[in-house]
Amino acid sequence: MDTLNYLGQGFGVALTPYNLVTALCGTLIGTVVGLLPGLGPINGVALLIPIAFALGLPPESALILLAAVYLGCEYGGRISSILLNIPGEASTVMTTLDGYPMARQGLAGVALSLSAWSSFIGAFIATCGMVLFAPLLAKWAIAFGPAEYFVLMVFAIVCLGGMAGDRPLKTFIAALIGLFLSSVGIDANSGVYRFTGDNIHLTDGIQFVVLVLGLFSISEILLLLEKTHRGQEAVKATGRMMFNFKEAASVFTVNIRCGVLGFIMGVLPGAGATLASAVAYMTEKRIAGASGTFGQGDKRGLAAPETAIGGAACGALVPMLTLGVPGSGTTAVMIGALSLYNITPGPLLFQQQPDIVWGLIASLFVANVMLVILNIPMIRIFTRILAVPNWALVPVIAIITGIGVYAVHATTFDLFLMIGIGIFGYILRKLDFPLSPVLLGFILGGLMEQNLRRALSISNGALEILWSSPITFGVWVLTAIMLLMPLLRIWRKRSVARRAIADV
Amino acid sequence: MLLQRIFASVLLLACIGLALMAWPYQAAFSYEPVGPRAFPLLMLGLMGSGLLYMIFRPAPIVHSEDDPQLDRETLTKIGICVVLLLVFAGTFEPLGFIISSILIGIPMARLYGGRWLPSVVIISLMSIGLYLLFDRVMDVPLPLGLLDVLEN
Repeated sequence: MDTLNYLGQGFGVALTPYNLVTALCGTLIGTVVGLLPGLGPINGVALLIPIAFALGLPPESALILLAAVYLGCEYGGRISSILLNIPGEASTVMTTLDGYPMARQGLAGVALSLSAWSSFIGAFIATCGMVLFAPLLAKWAIAFGPAEYFVLMVFAIVCLGGMAGDRPLKTFIAALIGLFLSSVGIDANSGVYRFTGDNIHLTDGIQFVVLVLGLFSISEILLLLEKTHRGQEAVKATGRMMFNFKEAASVFTVNIRCGVLGFIMGVLPGAGATLASAVAYMTEKRIAGASGTFGQGDKRGLAAPETAIGGAACGALVPMLTLGVPGSGTTAVMIGALSLYNITPGPLLFQQQPDIVWGLIASLFVANVMLVILNIPMIRIFTRILAVPNWALVPVIAIITGIGVYAVHATTFDLFLMIGIGIFGYILRKLDFPLSPVLLGFILGGLMEQNLRRALSISNGALEILWSSPITFGVWVLTAIMLLMPLLRIWRKRSVARRAIADV
Repeated sequence: MLLQRIFASVLLLACIGLALMAWPYQAAFSYEPVGPRAFPLLMLGLMGSGLLYMIFRPAPIVHSEDDPQLDRETLTKIGICVVLLLVFAGTFEPLGFIISSILIGIPMARLYGGRWLPSVVIISLMSIGLYLLFDRVMDVPLPLGLLDVLEN
């Protein structure tokens, strides 16, 4: 009953007119940001952090704004997938497979509204799951000591590599780069300046917003240069805009299945929306079997990834809020935002600042409803935004990115650092390194080092503390399994290849 | 493959350099068993071993079909874009936000295929609009630079 009580209190926070307007602005900004090429949820949330701070929003409103932007981005990413066949985010790749064919068949409006509806169901299921499981997890996580936290973070990092699959080594190297970068600056425990090279601007460490915007915005701007010559006509969204009851009913079971799947995948660190949408699509394709026209505009093929993305986006907030360990790039950015407000996410947050946690959860419900309502009448406006050419868009993105970075500390050093990081990020991308592990490593690095040192202080330097308790031991076992996964996959692929050769 | 090897080698050298830099980091006196040196060294060590493996066994890069090959033209464009961004950072404070963003925004719009007149009009309007939006409406202080005179 406690939970419902708290949830009611949360709605009290989320439904104040001020926070409602904040959520509305957030969803609108988020949808536009998600829609534009070169901007995704990670940049969108990161850009708004300094602005929310400058506006002097109270912490719960700021968090509601960021969560609304986050959900809005996930929503917006799909519009360009369906109308242009260009995924707005990595996670909406699967949406293009059936969404674009549907649009070509003259069902663009239906595809858009149906995917909005699916995404809404996914997010709704995941938010309900969050209400049920987050407090339990938080209660359980109170038993965690520094050693447990350290091991949990090792697990989160290893998960990234184990789940990402095709390039585990590059994922690990990327995560290690982030972990290392987090140690730049003054060491809080001993006062030693690390890797600052006597530069006064680095004593504070690398600013989180600078790293995010450099890695994601600047590198994206450079990447877009390669694609200047190509333009693609958007499919016109004409005719019927709204899906009908029959269409909604035909994908309802798909929605439920994929929503639950998305939630679970979202909660697991490292999996996230991209993997969830892929798995959902594949599973539904297999379930549909011969009756499906997957790839040629099957409604189930559109609903499955969209529901899973909606579920995973909300599910990813669970480990962030309850454990303080982010599982995806975007939630890592949100942790950064919270730490600006001096809020430490984790089990204690549920006890000490229930207003913030439950206000956030309630605002997820509110933002979801807003998005689904907004989406249907606004689609025409959103499609017009898609027509903005790159040459007008990219300079503006570059300039706004500059403002976002400058707003943090008002030094031009940060601008130069951002450009440097951006070039490095561009090189990493060209060499096929994933970037979000860098971000995740950067966020987890500081926490990891603190917890490791605290744990070893407790045990007076004896390393046994890192694996002696049952929780730590269990997590180590899971870590080992995750480490073996890519090896297993490679081995299986090889044996399949060998069999194929033998067959010939 | 070669590019990856070069990149891994450079990063490996950087790791070694940073590790040497980290070696003397020691707290003057401390109460805890783990000093400020252990964690960065551990990370650098792990990264180094990963990179070493990559130098000998680089993973093939899978190019998606719509991923155009880098040619000289794109590389020059990227070079110009980086220079423009650096100019932006360099002139941000001395010239002020509006002038510096017009200064780099117009060539950048040209770089992405815009025509002269629309680029000039849109970027100029955008720069002034963004200044008013952020500095006046949203309280994010931006430097006026040369345009300081206009304010009084």
